[in-house]
Amino acid sequence: MLACLAGAFASAAFTLVPGIKHVSSRVMGWLLAIAPVAAFVAITAQLSTVADGQALTWQIPWLPAFGIAFAFYLDGLSALFGLIVTGIGALVLIYSGYYLTPAHDDADAKSATRNADARFFLYLLLFMTSMLGLVLAGDVITLFVFWEGTSVTSFLLIAYKTKDEEARSGAFKALFVTGGGGIALLAGLLFASAISGSTDLTSILRNGEVLRNHAWYPVMLGLIAFGAFTKSAQAPFHFWLPKAMTAPTPASAYLHSATMVKAGIYLMARLHPALGNTEMWFWLLIVTGGATMLIGALIGLRQSDLKGVLAYSTISQLGVLMMLIGKEAPSAFKALAIGVLAHALYKGALFMIVGIVDHSTGTRDLRRLGNLWRIMPWTFAVCGLAALSMAGLPPLFGFLAKETLLAAEMEAVLPQLTRIVLPAITVLTGALMLAQAATLTLDTFVTRPGTGWPASHLDDGHAEVGHASHAHEAPAGMLLGPAVLAALSLIISTAQPAAIVALLAGAATAAYGAKVKVSLALFHGINLPLILSSTAIALGVVLFTVRRPIRSIPGVPALNMNRLYDGVLRSLDRAADIVTRTQGGRIRIYLAVILSTLFMLVILFGNLGRIFSGPALPNFGMRLLDEPLNTASALRAFGLLLAVAASFVSVIIRRDLLAIIALGSSGLAIAVVIALEPSPDVALVQAVVEVLTLVVLVLALSRLPRAQRERAETLNAGERGTTARNALLATAGGLLVTVLCLYAFASRPRTSIVTPFYEENAKPLTGAADIVGAIVVDFRGFDTLIEITVFSMAGIGVFSLLRLAMKRRETASLPTEGEVELNAADHRPLPLLPSLTGIDGVRTSPFIRALAYVALPLTFMLAIVQMIYGHDQPGDGFTAGVTLSLGVGFWYVVFGYERTKQRLSLLRPGPLIGVGILLALVGSVAPLFLGGGFFSPFDFGAALNLPLPKGFYLSTSFVFEVAICLAVLGAATFIIDTLGHPERDLE
Amino acid sequence: MDVLLALTISAVFAIGVFQLLRRNLIRSVIGLSIISNAINLFLLAAGVYRGEVAAYANAVGQRSDALPQALILTAIVINMGGFAMVLSMLYVLSVRYKTSDSDEVKGLTH
Repeated sequence: MLACLAGAFASAAFTLVPGIKHVSSRVMGWLLAIAPVAAFVAITAQLSTVADGQALTWQIPWLPAFGIAFAFYLDGLSALFGLIVTGIGALVLIYSGYYLTPAHDDADAKSATRNADARFFLYLLLFMTSMLGLVLAGDVITLFVFWEGTSVTSFLLIAYKTKDEEARSGAFKALFVTGGGGIALLAGLLFASAISGSTDLTSILRNGEVLRNHAWYPVMLGLIAFGAFTKSAQAPFHFWLPKAMTAPTPASAYLHSATMVKAGIYLMARLHPALGNTEMWFWLLIVTGGATMLIGALIGLRQSDLKGVLAYSTISQLGVLMMLIGKEAPSAFKALAIGVLAHALYKGALFMIVGIVDHSTGTRDLRRLGNLWRIMPWTFAVCGLAALSMAGLPPLFGFLAKETLLAAEMEAVLPQLTRIVLPAITVLTGALMLAQAATLTLDTFVTRPGTGWPASHLDDGHAEVGHASHAHEAPAGMLLGPAVLAALSLIISTAQPAAIVALLAGAATAAYGAKVKVSLALFHGINLPLILSSTAIALGVVLFTVRRPIRSIPGVPALNMNRLYDGVLRSLDRAADIVTRTQGGRIRIYLAVILSTLFMLVILFGNLGRIFSGPALPNFGMRLLDEPLNTASALRAFGLLLAVAASFVSVIIRRDLLAIIALGSSGLAIAVVIALEPSPDVALVQAVVEVLTLVVLVLALSRLPRAQRERAETLNAGERGTTARNALLATAGGLLVTVLCLYAFASRPRTSIVTPFYEENAKPLTGAADIVGAIVVDFRGFDTLIEITVFSMAGIGVFSLLRLAMKRRETASLPTEGEVELNAADHRPLPLLPSLTGIDGVRTSPFIRALAYVALPLTFMLAIVQMIYGHDQPGDGFTAGVTLSLGVGFWYVVFGYERTKQRLSLLRPGPLIGVGILLALVGSVAPLFLGGGFFSPFDFGAALNLPLPKGFYLSTSFVFEVAICLAVLGAATFIIDTLGHPERDLE
Repeated sequence: MDVLLALTISAVFAIGVFQLLRRNLIRSVIGLSIISNAINLFLLAAGVYRGEVAAYANAVGQRSDALPQALILTAIVINMGGFAMVLSMLYVLSVRYKTSDSDEVKGLTH
């Protein structure tokens, strides 16, 4: 069974093989048909088991934790649908090969379409896989996945002519409706599985009693039915199906008539034993199905497009089937099984015939077609046979379907009202069907063009189109599909093969939930169904003869679902437009809105009342006083005040450069506070990073044109209103943070659970006395690896962002006149020797240069010391990396970009980052091969017996520190490099 | 001391917010950095122990809480990376719009 699915899928993939372009579409159609034929045979082989009510199951575990399996289930119902899917699938594939070949030999067009043909086959086979999976699914999640698969492939096929506006909108409409239904279906199925306790289909079917009596039953049924109704084009969701006719005709025949639209029917029939037999079920399905049946048949007569006629009659037939599932009688399910097969046979055939007509004459317009029987006698014959079945005339299968349908409607178990109303509308529908079948056949093949249409419906040019001149009979292979299907319509009802009877009985039994007997006798004696059937035939003939006056009645502007749909989409667009209009493009305003929303959320939902009522306040008083006044605490208070003051200075000072320096001192003040914690490692990092930030900021600022900087500085004065608003927002934020801080500090626990673990285990497990270092490099080593990767990415990001920006400027915008002058002023050529000039060509003093010569080796030593002793002393790889890059940055400033590059030729940021991250990975994986664990502390020196000096350990943490140092150096160099010299094109 | 810490954190935070909202993008960048300072300070203050000695295994006495320190270490590094990224964006903006006035950056209007 799985092999079938896999086979269909594999042949779908096969169409992607590039060499396939050389195979003609016809050959390809035949080749690809092998897969569905194999599946057909495989299902047939199981028929004997399935027919007497047994179910076969297979499954592969998928998400065992949720009890979800990739499960399959084959019983009579699945087998009937599976055979239709694979059988018609094979015929459609063969037919498609001919359909895709252009009618007129045109070598250019041929080679151009070959690729597109492969795409068509791919979609078709993907659909086949999904559809087969859907009807064979034994788990509701599996079912849903395949269900969505059919929606998506249907979308792709409807929009197959991607350049056609109508095709795109039709495809979107279909996806919108069926996709929306799919979501509802998922919710409904999840309900069902939650209530029954399993997503497994058999368990859901077994727990019908529980499901029906559950309080949520109406919701569940509503959701599932919504999914089924949208998929099966039930009124009022039927409107997507006629629009889906933009799909190539083979796809229409297959998806939008024989198989996919019956997925909803299948689903409801499948779940009937579990969810059916309730009042709600009955009325929901009867009313929807009945209305759909009548609406489809009524609109269908007015269609002038052949495919439109077929689409609406399909809708009508789907309504019939849906209605049958609603009835709680064995005869209804017998009628259902017969109806599904009969409709698939004749409608599939008729769609393919329409495709042939279209292919050979170039039009599907009923008003322009006529008189084709001389040119296409075989097509006419096949069409006539299929149409007889559609019209419900004896001795064809369609007649049998209508007989059983009428018999089912007169079952005594149904309420009195429905026993009268339903046969009445069925007779009317039957008559309309007959009229349409006659229209399809006679108006296409026999009568003169334009017959049967009021003059107002005809354009002048229509009648006299010489389509017949190039019309021709279809090739035999193209006629094969419809001929086989039409012949089956005849053979099944006359010969009544036992296998088919058993299949239908199996399907009806599975859907009904109890044994259903099926016989295919055509004649049961003169009874009420036969009389009604004859009435329908007579009425149909009358309707056909008066079709011209009927069509001239102006259409009723009833509630048009298409208009509603368009309205919904348009108002969505408009709403989106209004929403975007509120965004004026001022970043500050967005930011202010975001921040005030955040503050509002904290105030509204933060439950701030607790702070003033809880144990916080007394506790808090104690905390305020528990600190003895000594040098350390005084120093700390000083650091805090300094941080606030420096930050404040950065606000009020007018020059940006000075504000940056104020920011730096604020950061350093915080480093002091951290150092007094006491926490030397963090303080060290904070200090070096603050300096690096300062350097980078100054560099970036110096890259902005001077006029622009000056213009920006004039903004610092601010406008009074804005400043007040910002100050208000800032104060609100500050107050909020005060409250949160006080609460957090007052309510924090007295003891920690985590920290003691680190304190106890740092030395024994990692050999590091520095607990913070041990946490960073060992306990949370993986985290740190990701962290340095992020930092490196930031470096690379800065690099690529700036290079990209520069490229844009070079190619896109020419500098304005003012800017040219500015640039000239900024980069005034200075006649100095390169070695004497620093960044920006400014002359540097010899003292500073001497200092730079000394500083770089010093930073190297400092870095190495930090890496070696980092695990026992303050400092770590990160500090080392930043220290080194500060040294390098100093060189950039003193010697200028070119000179530094020249002298430090080994310093290449990209490779540094690469080596750093690689080293970290190797260092963490290598212990695996030497008897240690992934990311666990490990002493390489001891393991490999390396002759190392005493007191020096070549451990994982050391390797890690080196790696961090290299990566950080690389990233920081990237940042300094590119921010300092964005204009330079790095070769 | 907790009260002083809380007041400091909120003052620094408020100043950062104010800077962030200014028209001059250079000041906004400074504001971002100030806010991250406030956050680091908060993390530090949220530690359970107020230590007398640094968090070294061989130290004698009440050690400071190592956990928030490790977190701050990470935060500082990531902040630095993000900060560099923001700066480069500032530069890109200045190249494309010839300004560092946020009101003149009109790329978001439709």
